[in-house]
Amino acid sequence: MKKILIASISILYLVTTAHAGRIKVLTSYPYIADIVQKIGKEHVRVHYLARGNWDPHTVIPRPSFIAKVRRADLLIINGGQLEIGYLPPILKQANNADVFPGRKGFLDLSSSITMIDVPRSVSRAQGDMHPDGNPHYYLDPHNIPPLAKAITKKLCELDYHNASNYRNNQSVFLNKWNSKLAEWDRKLKSLRGISVVEYHKNFDYLLRRYGIKLVGTVEPLPGIPPTSRHMETISQIIARHSVKFIIHDVYHPERASKLLAKKHNIRMVVLPHDVGATNEAEGIFSLFDEIVRRLSQ
Amino acid sequence: MKKTFYMVLVMLCLQTAENIVYSNSENQSGSPFSQSQFVPDISFILDLAYIERDITDTTRQSLFIPGMTYSSEYLSSIDDDTASEQNGRGFSFNYGEMNIASVVDPYFDLFVNLSFTEEGVEFEEGYFTSRSFPFGFQLKAGKFLSSFGRLNEQHGHFWDFFDQPLIYSVVFGEGNLNETGMRLTWVAPFDFYMMLGVEALQGRNSASFGIKGFSDVQHNVTVDDSRGPNLYVAYLKYSYDFDTLTLLMGGSGALGKTRLNMALDQSGIQGEGYNGSTHIWGGDITLKYLIDSFRYISLQAEYIIKTFDGRQYTQDTADNISSAECEKVQSGMYAQLVLKPFLQWRFAARYDLLNKNRIEYNGTRDTEYPENMPRYSCMIDYNPTEFSRFRIQYNHDRSHYYKENNEYVNKPNNEIIVQCNLSIGAHGAHSF
Repeated sequence: MKKILIASISILYLVTTAHAGRIKVLTSYPYIADIVQKIGKEHVRVHYLARGNWDPHTVIPRPSFIAKVRRADLLIINGGQLEIGYLPPILKQANNADVFPGRKGFLDLSSSITMIDVPRSVSRAQGDMHPDGNPHYYLDPHNIPPLAKAITKKLCELDYHNASNYRNNQSVFLNKWNSKLAEWDRKLKSLRGISVVEYHKNFDYLLRRYGIKLVGTVEPLPGIPPTSRHMETISQIIARHSVKFIIHDVYHPERASKLLAKKHNIRMVVLPHDVGATNEAEGIFSLFDEIVRRLSQ
Repeated sequence: MKKTFYMVLVMLCLQTAENIVYSNSENQSGSPFSQSQFVPDISFILDLAYIERDITDTTRQSLFIPGMTYSSEYLSSIDDDTASEQNGRGFSFNYGEMNIASVVDPYFDLFVNLSFTEEGVEFEEGYFTSRSFPFGFQLKAGKFLSSFGRLNEQHGHFWDFFDQPLIYSVVFGEGNLNETGMRLTWVAPFDFYMMLGVEALQGRNSASFGIKGFSDVQHNVTVDDSRGPNLYVAYLKYSYDFDTLTLLMGGSGALGKTRLNMALDQSGIQGEGYNGSTHIWGGDITLKYLIDSFRYISLQAEYIIKTFDGRQYTQDTADNISSAECEKVQSGMYAQLVLKPFLQWRFAARYDLLNKNRIEYNGTRDTEYPENMPRYSCMIDYNPTEFSRFRIQYNHDRSHYYKENNEYVNKPNNEIIVQCNLSIGAHGAHSF
């Protein structure tokens, strides 16, 4: 009896500490997980909550999220209230004080970015609003380096023994990123000045960066599906501004955007918004490779 | 008195709100003592309904589930007009609910839920939870909804239907198991979700437990109070993901003393009293298949069994009291299917069944109590945004009876409910 008890306790101990020494990082979205993996390499074990091909706003909080938060040493979120619909109750149930906002094991990436479209007045009459501004800031490739730096800083803080490794990995990452940035900037140069329509305001940071004019959205208000009256309005806008293409995401129904594209004989471009959104976007590099490829087609 | 208190409370809230507006403008001019950043998260939920029903409100009030809910004699004795108006035919104001929550300090969170009806305000929940317990433990203390089963902890606006399953209303009453006490939970450090919880509760629930003793009109029988905490609840919840299919299972038990007094101390009407102990066991399973971010199919079923062991006292209209050893074994289940095929729409069907109603007096079974009492429900809801919901539900209920010539007679009932639920303020969370 005693032997069995000792055996089972030691098995439990082994199971729970098998990965000790590696920092258990949990991120809300896969793109963050990929950056963490590239900087943390073999010193981290990374998990993420939401799937890359799903709507980042409406994530169904599965009980397994609680288990993941429970075991995390570090929780990294996108912030800007993108996780507001599912993460707070998960944190409340996971009983892991180390990763509460404000603790050492918590990082809100939006704090290293200046967000755009911060509303001057907040009212839900304007749809599903983000009072802190547009939270899809990471879709501008120029915003990735500050995120990588914030992650590196946090990893060094938590695991100072490996700080030099993290800093080395960061510079490797940033060097590669900067050369890629030059390539993407060059490829998207030709799009400067054109007008586009978006389904949801996902890619505003990208459009702004490359001087692409956003003249309207297919949804009448954030989070509200298109109505026939709004379709009429947006159709007029497309004609008036001689819109080049309609940007669509992978998770909203394509019907309305397709209809508009067909009517005006323009392209509907489906862009991945996160790592894993399409097959090609397997990592943070290929995510932007794919966005640039699809835009410049 | 109570009303005055709540009036003052509401006034205070408004006063604070005004101060916030004032201090916000003050803040811009740089007031060094601005408190506006410390305002807790506040939200308010309003729930309204329109009901069409086969039977009149008076008939509905006289119906009951034999051996499971209060008898019509008792219900008529309390003569509660408001009870018959609540969810009567036509328009009804179901509830308003105010949630106030915030961090207290590095160690605690506080949560308050005030439930507003047309009559007044009630403290539905008010509790604090620990923030910094180590090893995956969390302490909760105050008045709160027990986590027994799959649904008990859920507030009305999270329900997939207008009403809760029959077995819940039979076992815990309309307000679910809502008690003052303490709870300790532990989340296991595994790759899958496993949570263990134990609760020590006062146990005042008037459907199954209760702590206040009683005596009959002629004081022939006196039953002492039971000592609080009177009720102990424990549960284990487990979940596993098979890719985008999530399995959630739970097992719960609630053990407590029973002191129920239904008009035993009132002269001239039939009364009943129970003294003993009640054990309630429950098992639940949910399978939810996520097609994508917006669409899912969910199958959920739950079985609850309740046993009462003790003494039943019966008082007739001439105030004569008799008693018997009583043993009740009662159980029921529900199974429901919810489809969400579009962003704003959900379709659902539910089958409710009270299958067992075995009541023994002095070791002999009383066979007059009916078993296998079903209800069938289906509903469609439309959610323009996360903050508003419109629902239409149809119920075909065959679980309610009336008594005629000493026999229980089933009275089927059809109802159509149109419900609307709106929320403002702090962003509510999605539920699993």
